[in-house]
Amino acid sequence: MRRRALIFVSAIGAAMLSSSAQAEVTDLEVKAAFLPRFARYVTWPAAAWRGDQPVSLCVIGDDPFGNLLNQSIAGQQVDGRNFVVKRLSSAAGASDCAIAFVDGSRTDEILQSLAHQPVLTVTDSRFGSERGIIHFVIVGGRVRFSINNRQAREDGLTISSRLLALAVGVSG
Amino acid sequence: MLPLRQSQLQWRSASPAIFLIAIVLVLGGFGIIFQNEANYRALRNQQASVEAQVLAASVAAAVDFDDPVAAREAVDSFKVNPQARFVGVFDRAGNAIAAYDRTERRLGLPLSRLPPASTSSVRISAPILSRGQRVGTVVYEVDREPVSRRLSRYVVLAALVVLAALVIVTLGLAQAALRRANRDLHDRAEALAQSNELLAEQIEERAKAEDQLRQSQKMQALGQLTGGIAHDFNNLLTVIQGSADILCRDDLSDAKRKRFAQAIVQASTNAAVLTSQLLAFARRQPLRPETLNLNLLVLEMTELISRTVGERIKVQTDLAPNPCPVTVDRGQLQSAILNIASNARDAIDGDGQITIHVREQTSESGEKMMAIRFTDTGSGIDPETIERVFEPFFTTKGPGRGTGLGLSQVYGFASQSGGEVTVESETGKGTTFILRLPCSGDAAEESLESEQPELESDPASVLLVEDNAEVGAFAETLLSELGHSVTLARSGEEALELARSRHFDVVFSDVVMPGMGGLKLAEVLAAEQPALPVVLATGYSQELAQSGTSGRAVILKPYRLATVAEALAAALQEHRARG
Repeated sequence: MRRRALIFVSAIGAAMLSSSAQAEVTDLEVKAAFLPRFARYVTWPAAAWRGDQPVSLCVIGDDPFGNLLNQSIAGQQVDGRNFVVKRLSSAAGASDCAIAFVDGSRTDEILQSLAHQPVLTVTDSRFGSERGIIHFVIVGGRVRFSINNRQAREDGLTISSRLLALAVGVSG
Repeated sequence: MLPLRQSQLQWRSASPAIFLIAIVLVLGGFGIIFQNEANYRALRNQQASVEAQVLAASVAAAVDFDDPVAAREAVDSFKVNPQARFVGVFDRAGNAIAAYDRTERRLGLPLSRLPPASTSSVRISAPILSRGQRVGTVVYEVDREPVSRRLSRYVVLAALVVLAALVIVTLGLAQAALRRANRDLHDRAEALAQSNELLAEQIEERAKAEDQLRQSQKMQALGQLTGGIAHDFNNLLTVIQGSADILCRDDLSDAKRKRFAQAIVQASTNAAVLTSQLLAFARRQPLRPETLNLNLLVLEMTELISRTVGERIKVQTDLAPNPCPVTVDRGQLQSAILNIASNARDAIDGDGQITIHVREQTSESGEKMMAIRFTDTGSGIDPETIERVFEPFFTTKGPGRGTGLGLSQVYGFASQSGGEVTVESETGKGTTFILRLPCSGDAAEESLESEQPELESDPASVLLVEDNAEVGAFAETLLSELGHSVTLARSGEEALELARSRHFDVVFSDVVMPGMGGLKLAEVLAAEQPALPVVLATGYSQELAQSGTSGRAVILKPYRLATVAEALAAALQEHRARG
């Protein structure tokens, strides 16, 4: 009896911890977690991947994530490759980025310079109306995203239908 | 016996084999069922596993991007499957993202707190993989096919197997019962054979005992017979011996000599009656049948009967209107009638009556018979005695009063004459004897008395054949007295030699002799010298009783002077008439 009661109490405790931890997860943390995961549903042109180098996750312009992004890539892999976070101030040097989160006043300019390059651009509606291929939005209090599939195809990227199915809006 | 035992052995060894076959059949049947069930489970597991993997692949993105709506959609597609019991999508930490529960009790539970699957379902956990990265877990729990449906699939097979086993077992039991019945039957047959053997033994023993009893009865009867004969003959011999002794005296008056000689004659006559009755009972008496009118015979005897029964008993006769003639021995018939009359006399105490009816009857076989019915007013005969009245020497009279041979003579005479004698009686109401004799086709001799024969005849040469010396000497004297010249032969062979060497007018021969008997001698002489007449004399002859006399003259011993004279005269007369 005592043993069963102990198990019951510890189960309730674990449930409470878990729910309080979830409540504290911010939108920013969710977005930071999402960014490396997009890599698993996008196919880059074969030339864009060289050897067994890690996948570059770039933040171009302002960096709203800080240390969150480094935490989110920990333990994440795609096809056995690890991630590496690069922070850039401009589009220069962004050619080896697989995913690029673009933010800041020069977003439009950066997006244009990255067009026709195999880079999955990601923007956030909270920071501006400019749209990359993936654009974070908040729907019903949850972090969702829309996808500009035409732009992706123009850039030589193939986005998995499973990801498209999750998008709140798909253009093109 | 041997084949039966062998077949029993075969049955005995076959019986456990049948049960073994039945058990193997049932085990094999259920083995197939269990194998099928195991295959079904493996298939079901594989199926569920594939479905879980498909779900895992389809919800990978939804899990990755924490999209419960998309996960929910994927999960909801399982609702259409009625066998789906639980479908859960969990993230890498084990938190539920979307779930479908048919019972709705496990919704929202994290993976770690999910209760274990029940035995009636299959639970598959599949990892959600996205480009080699495990992002979560899919749990899929699906019903096995319902027990009832699974059972219904096997029930036909199971029933068939059980039925077959039952048939085999039933056959085995039936065979065992048959074997048992066979054995019982065998045992019973043996017991029957044994009891049969026992019965046969008992029958044999009983037959032996009966033989012994019959033998002892025979000895008893023989004792009675010899005793009776000895008694009666002793009486007669006393008279004869005494009379003869007196006759030997020289100083005897003629009157006395004649009286004692007559006493001897009377005693001898009585002795002759006794022996003739014995022979009559033995049915070995040579009969001299003649055709008679019974009315006349009875009428003739009435006087004699009246004298025999005494004055106090009245004798009445009632004769037949038209009697048919019967062919019987006159003397024997007279003896029979007198015997019955004497019997009636002894049954009547004081005054009484004897009625003699003579009537014609038709027997059951359609034969015409003459019946002489003797009815007396005597004491009657009790049922036990009536069965024995015809037995020789059986008598209810005191010693010296009866010989026990009278009714035996009646019985023997009736049987030998082709008739019968019956008796009806009731104690205290008298007795009725009925003597039935067959009618004959010949006409009866009307004469009441035969002619008095001429004692003296022409002297002739007589060949006397007699093996007994005393009888031979007596007969020689007798024949010499009659004026004949006599030559005595001691045997048949000697007689034959004499007859061949010399001439004789007549042969007078005894029948029973050692070597060649009288009958054989007569036969041979008839062939060699047909002109030579033969007269036979006998006291007893089985041959004569069986085959008759073949027309030859036969006189009975003991013979009287007159009888011999008459027979010889008749033979010589006939011979002369022929010659």
